[in-house]
Amino acid sequence: MPVLFGLVILGLIVLVPVLMYNSLVGKRNQVANIFGTMDAMLKKRWDLVPNLVETVKGYAQHEKSLFENVTAARSRAMGGQMSADEMVQYDNAVSKLVGVMRATVENYPQLKAGENFLHLQRTLNELEEQISAARRAFNAAVTDYNNSVDMFPTNIIASMFGFQRKGLLEFEAQARQNPTVGF
Amino acid sequence: MKTLEQVREFYESELKQSLAAMEQDRQKMISKAMTVAGIIGAVGLVGGLLITQMGVHNGVLLLILPGICIAIGVGAFSVANKNYKTRYKSRIIHKLITFAQPGLEYWPEGGISKEIFTGSKLFTHSIDRYRCEDLVRGKVDKTEILFSEIHAEYKTTSGTGKNRRTEWHTIFKGLFVAADFNKHFRGRTVVLPDTAQKAFGLFGQTLQSWNPSRDERIRLEDVEFEKEFVVYGTDQVESRYILSPALMERILDFRRRLRNGLYLSFVGSKVYVAIPLDTNLFEPKTFSSAAGFESIKEYYNQLRFGLAIVDELNLNTRIWTKE
Repeated sequence: MPVLFGLVILGLIVLVPVLMYNSLVGKRNQVANIFGTMDAMLKKRWDLVPNLVETVKGYAQHEKSLFENVTAARSRAMGGQMSADEMVQYDNAVSKLVGVMRATVENYPQLKAGENFLHLQRTLNELEEQISAARRAFNAAVTDYNNSVDMFPTNIIASMFGFQRKGLLEFEAQARQNPTVGF
Repeated sequence: MKTLEQVREFYESELKQSLAAMEQDRQKMISKAMTVAGIIGAVGLVGGLLITQMGVHNGVLLLILPGICIAIGVGAFSVANKNYKTRYKSRIIHKLITFAQPGLEYWPEGGISKEIFTGSKLFTHSIDRYRCEDLVRGKVDKTEILFSEIHAEYKTTSGTGKNRRTEWHTIFKGLFVAADFNKHFRGRTVVLPDTAQKAFGLFGQTLQSWNPSRDERIRLEDVEFEKEFVVYGTDQVESRYILSPALMERILDFRRRLRNGLYLSFVGSKVYVAIPLDTNLFEPKTFSSAAGFESIKEYYNQLRFGLAIVDELNLNTRIWTKE
């Protein structure tokens, strides 16, 4: 009987840390998985760049440099030569471009009536909500993971195996504002 | 949707006459029922007396005769009552619904099929008895919608032989709505009242994650929403795409105005909503008049309630690629 009891205790001593380790790995993978989804959605939005530039360039000549920068950055992004920081900057530029488009439309109602534009606007609305959903999902996954890294007793396993806290995504205040465009 | 004032005008010009005729029908039915009850009572009494006169003092026989008489009376009355209600529904309520919201159709005997009900994934219990009535179907602006009353039950049996007892338990009874959702999606998201968290707090949350009959638990950042509901889904990102912060706010607001809870699911490009109700929708009264404007107003409000989900969830806003 004592032997059996000892074996059960030994089993638990081995099993519990294994389960905790696995749950940490699972949560870390969940973060990576959602990051992948978000990345895919950002790229989808980038695919709309030529279309966006085409729509507004005739109406917003003074933003020419923005168009050129974004187009150049897009070809680099498509070639896969971007660092993470560059990606963030590029995404901000795309957000600015979307803002320019919205502001331009306000001043040129005839743009609004076009079928192409309507479709573009719907696609953009959809992608933006999807990106925002992915950001929220990412933050939820990171919070879940960070809780495990910080809380007892999983924090013991986390520090033993080098699980680091991850940062949350901040919503870009700038991306939410429409830039003022003078004509 | 027509306003109450327009409905009142319609009542004055179109419905009043038919309602008066229906009211006559109802009164005739009641007086017939009284006469029949009198006759049956008399037959039962006379029959009972005759039997005793014949010298038979068998208690069982004396009980059986009035029993049969009552059963015949009740059966005949319920058939007449059902006929009256069906006539009322097809003559009055049908007219009212098609006037109040053009583009809608109404089938008093129709209902949402069991397949759609189980396909919504709102209730996972197997169903032994399924009843539905009062189907309303059509388009409200851009949104296809159908709703009906549903009563789904399961049974349990206990004991053996003579002591065998069957009990029926309600899975869901109330209003069930299926509407076209305004965003494209592929997976499944189910929003249920949060009973476990309310009862057990944090431990309840853990319990919810282990629910084997449900998909992955989706934890949302809206604290109020999380307190009220528990969300399961097949895709963490897609569920959040459907449940945008604005929609969560709207769902919460709608929930606060309901008494018995709210169940929602998003499956196959559709939103399904189940609202438990104690009342029976579009049901004319038998023992009091259903000819006044008050009754019409009640049916109109019930119709508005059935269609409320379109506005509550803003389903006619089509700013995404789904038109």
